[in-house]
Amino acid sequence: MIRNRAARLPVFTALIALALMLVSPGVIAEDKSDDPEYWLQRLGPALTKTSYRGVFVYARGDQVSSMQVAHRYRDGMVEERLVMQDGQIGEIVRKGMNVICVLPALGRMELNNVIPSGPFAEAFTNQLMPVDRWYRPEITGRDRIAGHDVVRLALNARDSLRYSHQLWLEESTGLPLKGKVLSISGDVLEYFHFTSLTISDNLADHEFMVQSEGREVYRTLAPQSSVKPEESMEGWTLGWRPNGFQPAAAPRSGSGQAVAFSDGLASFSVFVEAAAGAGMPSGASKIGATTVYMRRLEKNAEDFLVTVVGEIPLETALKVAQSVDIEDSVVLGARVP
Amino acid sequence: MDDRLKETLSAMMDDEADELSVRRLLSQEGQDEVRAQFQSWQQMRDLIQHRHPAVDSIDVSEGVRDVLEGHDRARNQKTVALPPTGKSWLWSAVAMVTLALAVGFSAGTGWDSSPAPSEQSAAAGVPELAIQGMDEQQREQLSRYLLQHAQHNSVSAGHASMGYARAVSASGAGY
Repeated sequence: MIRNRAARLPVFTALIALALMLVSPGVIAEDKSDDPEYWLQRLGPALTKTSYRGVFVYARGDQVSSMQVAHRYRDGMVEERLVMQDGQIGEIVRKGMNVICVLPALGRMELNNVIPSGPFAEAFTNQLMPVDRWYRPEITGRDRIAGHDVVRLALNARDSLRYSHQLWLEESTGLPLKGKVLSISGDVLEYFHFTSLTISDNLADHEFMVQSEGREVYRTLAPQSSVKPEESMEGWTLGWRPNGFQPAAAPRSGSGQAVAFSDGLASFSVFVEAAAGAGMPSGASKIGATTVYMRRLEKNAEDFLVTVVGEIPLETALKVAQSVDIEDSVVLGARVP
Repeated sequence: MDDRLKETLSAMMDDEADELSVRRLLSQEGQDEVRAQFQSWQQMRDLIQHRHPAVDSIDVSEGVRDVLEGHDRARNQKTVALPPTGKSWLWSAVAMVTLALAVGFSAGTGWDSSPAPSEQSAAAGVPELAIQGMDEQQREQLSRYLLQHAQHNSVSAGHASMGYARAVSASGAGY
C-alpha cells in the first residue's frame, strides 16, 4: 500500500501541474486586467486600430461642445471622420495621409493645423514613453460609459509640474471613452466623454465620406521625417524643461521655429520667432487645462517672441518660457545687421 | 428676506451699515438670496453710474466676514485675486475691486477662471494676456499657435479625442 501511494504521488503532482497549466492563462489574464501597465500598453494600439463610431462631448473652461466621430483601421490605413455637432457645420475626413476639410464658415482655419491625428500620431504612439515615471498609474475601479464596461485608470502626477489625468478605458479594446485632466488641487480642468459608441469592424464606407456641402480643402500630409524636432531648435536653446518631457514633434511655425514636448500624456509647444512691428503683448492666459504664456525677449537689439502653449500648470509654462535663450538671431528671422 | 435685512443690505452698499446689522445679515439662512439681491442692486447702480457690471461673479461675503473678524487675509490676497479672465473689461474690474477693497470688501472668491491655489503664486505678477484687446493680426498669430499645439496634443497617448476637440475649439471664439 505504501509503495502504491508513493508511486501514485508523481502522477498526482503531474495532474496538479497540468491543471495549473490549463488554468494559468485565465489567472494571468485576470491579473493583467488589474495591472495599470497592461492598460497603458494597450492605449496606443487601441487609439489607432479600434474601429468605432460615436458622439462625445468635450468641455474646457465654460465651453462645452459635441462631436461625432467615426474611425476605422483597414488594410493598415486609418480612416476618420469628425463632424462638429454644435454651431457651424464642419467636418474633417481623413483617409490615410489624405485629408479633406469642409469648413463652410471658418474660411481662415488653417488645414495644416487642424488635422486631428497627423503624421506624428502613429510614430508617437509607437514610442515607449515611461509614463509611470512621471505619473502614478492605478486602477481605481470599474464603471460603465456609453453602454460599455470600462476600467478606470488614474494617472496621478508625481510632481507639481504637470497635471493629473483619469481615463476610462473600454474593457475589450482599451479605447478611452472618457478622460479628465485634473489640477494639482483636484479640480477638473477639462474632459471628454463619449455619450454613444459603437465598436464594430463593419462600418460602412459612406460613413467616411464628406457629406456636408461647403468649401472643401484637400491636403496630403507630409511625412514626419521631413523635420526632426532637434533640427527645429536651431538658433535657440531651452535651458529648462520638466523631467520627462521629450521633443516629440516639430511643427511649422511661419518664419520662426517651434518644438513640441511630451511626457507621454501631456504636451506643450514652444514657439520662438522674431517679433515683427508692434508685435504681440506679453502675459498669460488659461482656458481649461491649456495655458498660454507669451514673453518678449531682446537679443542683440532685436526683439523676439517666446510663446509656450500647453496642458501644463502656469508655473511650468513660465519656467519653460524664461529658460529660452537666443543663440543665433538670424536663423530666427531677425533682420541681418 | 425681510425689509429690515434689505435695509441693512442697502446701507451696506453705501458703506453705512453698522457691524451688528452686517453680522446679522451674514448669519441669515439663504445666503444665495442675499447675494442675488446684492448683485441685482449692484448692477442697477452700475447701470445708473454707467459702469460695466463687472461684479456679477464676485462673492463679497467672505471678505466682509474677514474684515469683521479683523483678519487682513483678504488684503494680502489682493495681488493674486485678479485672475486671468480674457475680458476687455478687466481693467474696470480691477478698478472696482480696488475700490471694494478700499471700503472693506474683497473679491476673494467667485471668479470662474481664477487659477488653482497652487498656481496662484506663479500667477502673481504675471500680466493678463488681453486676448480680447488684440488686433486681428495678433489674434491670428495666437490662433496659429493654438492650432499648431492642438495638433500635437492629439498625439499624446490617451487623448486622441481631446486632441480633436482642442483643435476645433481653438479655432472658435473660445480664446
